[in-house]
Amino acid sequence: MLTPYSGLLRVLPLLLLALTATVSSEHTSNWAVLVSTSRFWFNYRHLANVLSLYRTVKRLGIPDSQIILMLPDDMACNPRNAFPGTVYSNADRAVDLYGDNIEVDYRGYEVTVENFIRLLTDRLDEDVPRSKRLGSDAGSNVLVYMTGHGGDQFLKFQDSEEIGAWDLADAFGQMWEKKRYHELLFMIDTCQANTMYTHFYSPNIIATGSSELDQSSYSHHADNDVGVAVIDRWTYYVLEFLETQVTSANSKLTLGDLFDSYDESKIHSQPGVRWDLFPGGEQEGRLRTVADFFGNVQNVEVENVNATEPGSLQEDLIEIARLVNKWRARDQAYLARQNESLVSKDASAHEESSPHYTVRTKVGPAKMSEESTWQKRLVGVSVLGACAAVWLTGSILGGTSA
Amino acid sequence: MALKSAIRKVRSNPHFLFVHLPHILSFICIVAGVVWLLLLPLNDYSRQTYISENALLPGQVHAYFSGSEQHIFRGYKKELEGVLEGQTAEGQEAWNDAFTPAVSDKIQSILKATGLKVATQNYEYTSSGITHQGQNVYAIIQAPRGDATEAIVLVAAWKTVEDELNLNGVTLALTLARYFKRWSLWSKDIIFLFPPDSKAGTQAWIDAYHDMQPAFVQPLPLKSGALQGGLVIEYPFDHRFESLHILYDGVNGQLPNLDLFNTAISITGGQMGIGTNLQEMWDHDDSYEMRLQTIMRGMVKQGFGYATGPHSSFMPYHIDAITLQTKGEGWQDEMALGRTVESLCRSLNNLLEHLHQSFFFYLLMQTNRFVSIGTYLPSAMLIAGNFTIMAIALWLRTGYYPGSQQASKPTEEQVTTTTTTTEKHDDKQAPPAKADASNNIIERQLALPLTLVVSLHLLGLIPLYIFNNIPHQYYPTATYTSILANFILPLLLSATLSHTLTPHPQQYHLIKSFSLLILGLFLSTLATLNFSLSFMVGLLCAPLSFIHRINPQTTSRPLRYILSTLALALLNVLSPPVVLLAVCWYFGADVETVLTQAAFGWDVWGVWTQVVVWCVWWPAWVAGCALVGFSLFSS
Repeated sequence: MLTPYSGLLRVLPLLLLALTATVSSEHTSNWAVLVSTSRFWFNYRHLANVLSLYRTVKRLGIPDSQIILMLPDDMACNPRNAFPGTVYSNADRAVDLYGDNIEVDYRGYEVTVENFIRLLTDRLDEDVPRSKRLGSDAGSNVLVYMTGHGGDQFLKFQDSEEIGAWDLADAFGQMWEKKRYHELLFMIDTCQANTMYTHFYSPNIIATGSSELDQSSYSHHADNDVGVAVIDRWTYYVLEFLETQVTSANSKLTLGDLFDSYDESKIHSQPGVRWDLFPGGEQEGRLRTVADFFGNVQNVEVENVNATEPGSLQEDLIEIARLVNKWRARDQAYLARQNESLVSKDASAHEESSPHYTVRTKVGPAKMSEESTWQKRLVGVSVLGACAAVWLTGSILGGTSA
Repeated sequence: MALKSAIRKVRSNPHFLFVHLPHILSFICIVAGVVWLLLLPLNDYSRQTYISENALLPGQVHAYFSGSEQHIFRGYKKELEGVLEGQTAEGQEAWNDAFTPAVSDKIQSILKATGLKVATQNYEYTSSGITHQGQNVYAIIQAPRGDATEAIVLVAAWKTVEDELNLNGVTLALTLARYFKRWSLWSKDIIFLFPPDSKAGTQAWIDAYHDMQPAFVQPLPLKSGALQGGLVIEYPFDHRFESLHILYDGVNGQLPNLDLFNTAISITGGQMGIGTNLQEMWDHDDSYEMRLQTIMRGMVKQGFGYATGPHSSFMPYHIDAITLQTKGEGWQDEMALGRTVESLCRSLNNLLEHLHQSFFFYLLMQTNRFVSIGTYLPSAMLIAGNFTIMAIALWLRTGYYPGSQQASKPTEEQVTTTTTTTEKHDDKQAPPAKADASNNIIERQLALPLTLVVSLHLLGLIPLYIFNNIPHQYYPTATYTSILANFILPLLLSATLSHTLTPHPQQYHLIKSFSLLILGLFLSTLATLNFSLSFMVGLLCAPLSFIHRINPQTTSRPLRYILSTLALALLNVLSPPVVLLAVCWYFGADVETVLTQAAFGWDVWGVWTQVVVWCVWWPAWVAGCALVGFSLFSS
C-alpha cells in the first residue's frame, strides 16, 4: 500500500509546478466590453481610444464573438474625415483602426446607458442577437473599458444622458450575483475618471482610471490633417505598454507591471488603481497577468477539466472516483479473460516478459496482482489526482475569496 | 437704530419723500449707469475671450492653400484685369471698375470652369429717390459626402465697404472656390457669393435665400441648406498687407456669436501669425483709455444700427458672419489670407449645430477681451430705470401729495405731514375705506395727460415717414425745418392747452409721469436688445427727468421766464435733429449722406433706429419741452 504514496511523492513537484502555472489562469473565457460614449466629430479621439483597445484585445486573442464594441458615432464615414473610411489613433497614420475586420455590436443611438446596463446584467429580450449579448459566466474574466466625457461620479453618454458611479457599481454587483464574471478589470479614461469606481462593492474587481477628482484627462496629440485630437494621453500610454511589452498572449507581464508603467509627467493627470475588492488585495492583484484580461484563455486541457462550476468540484472528484472504479472493474474483467487464455503458459515466462505482462499474469492467481495493477495505472491515476488536487486547491482559493 | 430713525424721519417728511427723494434716486441711477460703463474696461469687470464651442477646433488643421494655388490666383487676376481693361475707355488712366455684365460673365465662366453650379440674381432697390441695382453672382460647392442641409457662405464683394475695387478679394474667392472644390471633407455646402457692392447686394441675396425678398428683387434659382456662417473677404489693394481688421457689427446692433469672432482671432493670430484689429483701433496698447475707446466705437456702431459691411445683412437671419479686411503694408500676401479663410472654413465645417455656445450680446474692448451682457446691462438699465423711478414717484405724488399748494404753506404742510404718516402707519390695521376717507387721496384726472402723451407718440410717425421717404436732396432742408418745428411745436402746444383747457397742476405731473413711464419701459426693454442705443437715448433724455413746469405760485415771473428759457434752450440743444447735426459735425459727415444712408438702412437693411428716435425719444422730448412751455404761459 506504500507504492501509491511514493508515486504521489514522485509527482508532487510536478503537481506543484502545475499549481503555480495554473493559479493565475483559473478562468475559462475572456470577454471584453469596450465602450465609447461620445458622439460628434470633435470627439474623434474617444472612438480612436476604443478602437485601439479593440485592436489590442483582438491581437491578444479575444475573438470578435467575445468582444462587445459600442461606438456611438461613425467617424470613419463622417464627411469631415479627410481620410474616408479610416480611423487613426496616431498622427503617423500607420495603422488604420477601422480596417476591414471590425465588428461593431452597438452603434449610434443604440449606445445608451440602458443598453449598457442591460448588456452587463443580461436583462435583454430573447430576440436580441448573440452579438449584442455579453455571454460571460462565472469563469469569465471580463475587461470593461470606457471612455468619453465625464465628471465627478458620472460619465456622459451621447450628450443626452449619463451613467453614475452607483449605476455602474450596481450593474457590476448584479453581474457578480448572476455569476457573470470571475474577475473583472475596469478601465476608464475620462475627466475625473477615478471617481467612477469609488462605489464598486462586488468582489474580484480591479479598477483603474486616468485621472483623479477635479482633474481633467487630456488628449495626447492632434493630427493636423484629420484636424482633431486622435487619442487621449492615458489610453495612449496604456496602449504603448500593451503594444511594445505585451507582444503575445503568452506574455508573463502582470497588471502590476502595467500600472507601474503609468507616468504622471506624461499622462498629465494622476491615474488611479483600486485593489481592495480583489481577494488578496494589491499583492494578489498585481500578479494577474495582463493577458488574463486582454488575452484569450489558450489552455484547452485546463478548460476541459474546469468545464463545471467551481462549486461542483466535489462532483468532479466523485465522478473521477467512479470512473476509476469502472476502469478497475473493466480491467479486472479484461485480465480475467486474459488469464483464462494464459493459464496454459509457463510460469517461467513471467520473469522474461515485460512488466505489463507480469502484471497481467500475476493478477490471475492471487490478490497480489492488485498491487501490480495499481503500479501499472499509477501514471494515469496520479495525473488525474494531480489535476483534481490542482482544482481542489484552486476552488479552495477561489471559494474563500467568494 | 440710527437707520431706523433716519427712515422714520424721511417718512415723516412727505415733501422730501415725494419731491426730493425721486430726484436724488434718479440722479444716482444716471451717475451709477455712466460710472458702471466706465468701469467695464477694468480687468476686474471684463473677461478674457475663450472658445466655448468644442466643435470649432480652430487652427487644428494644416492649411494647404499655397504654392501652385498662387499661380491660379495670378491667372484669374489677369483674366479679370483683362476684362477691366476692355471696358475702360481709350486713354483713360484709371480703370472703369464698374461691375458690368462683362465682369459678371467672367466670374461666372471661371466658376463654371471649376465645375461649380453658378446662378445670378438681379435686384433693384429705390431709396430716397436713388436707385441701387445690380446683379449678384454666386456658386455652390456641394459637399461631396455631406447632406445638403447646411451651408457656409463666402462673400467677396466687387466693391468694398469704402467703395474701393476689391479685385484681390474677388480673385482670392475664385481661387478658393477652385481649391475647395477639390477637397472631399466638406460637411456643408460652400456658397461663393460675388455681389457688386457691399451695401445692397448681400441684403438682396440673403433676403431671397429666405424667400423674404421684396418684389423688385429676383428670387434665387439655386439654393442650399441652412446657412451656418458667413465670411466676407476684402483685399482692395495690390501690395502685401500687415494685419486683418475684423468687422462684426450687424444691423440694429445685432452681433455674431462671439465664438466666430474668437475663432477668427485664434486662427489669424495663433495659427497664421497675422495681427488683428477691431473697431479701427490701429495702435491698441491695451490701456484703459484704448479699451474704453474701443467699447465706445463699438457702442456707436451698435447704437446707430447700420450695416458696417456685407456681413451685417446676415445677422437678422441669425447667421453669424464677419468681414475680414486687409490693412496696412506688411509682408502677408493673398496666400496668407487664403490660408486664414481655409482654416476658418474648416472650423465652420466642423460645426455640428448652429453657433450657440458663446455670447450674442457682448462689448469687445480688445481682440481678446470682452464684457458680456450680464456685466454691462445694468448700466443701461440704471439709466432707463431713472425714468421709471421718476414716473412712479410722480404718479404717487399726484395721488398722495398735493405738492406745490402745500409747499407754499409750510406750516399747514407740517400738519398734513403728521396726519399722513400716522394714517399710513395705521394702514395695516384700519380698513382701506376709512383710510381713504380720512387720507387726502386726490382723484387723478387722466384724460388730458393720456391723450397728450399718446398723440405725441403717434405724431412721431410723421417725421419718421418724412425722413425715410423724401428724395435725398431735401434732407438738409428737412433737418433744419424739423429743428424749427421742434422749437415751435412744444410752445404752441403749451400755449394752446393752457389757454383752452387750463390744466390742473396735477395734470402736468401726470403728463410727465406717463411720458417718462413709456420712455423708461421702452428703454429698459431696448437695453436687452440694443444696449448701446438704449444707453445713448437714455443719456440724451436724462434731463427730461429733472425738468418740470415751474410753478407760477412759488416762483416769481422774471425768474420763471429766465429758468424756463434756459431749460428750453438746453432741451433744444438735445433735440433729435440738433443731435444729428452735432454728430455729423463731430464725425465730419454730410447730413444729407447720413440721412440718405439712414433711409437706405430703413428701406433695405430694416434698421429700426429711426423708430426709436421718432417714436420714443422725440415724443418724450416734446412732452418735456411742452412742460417747460407751460411755465411760460400759465398764470
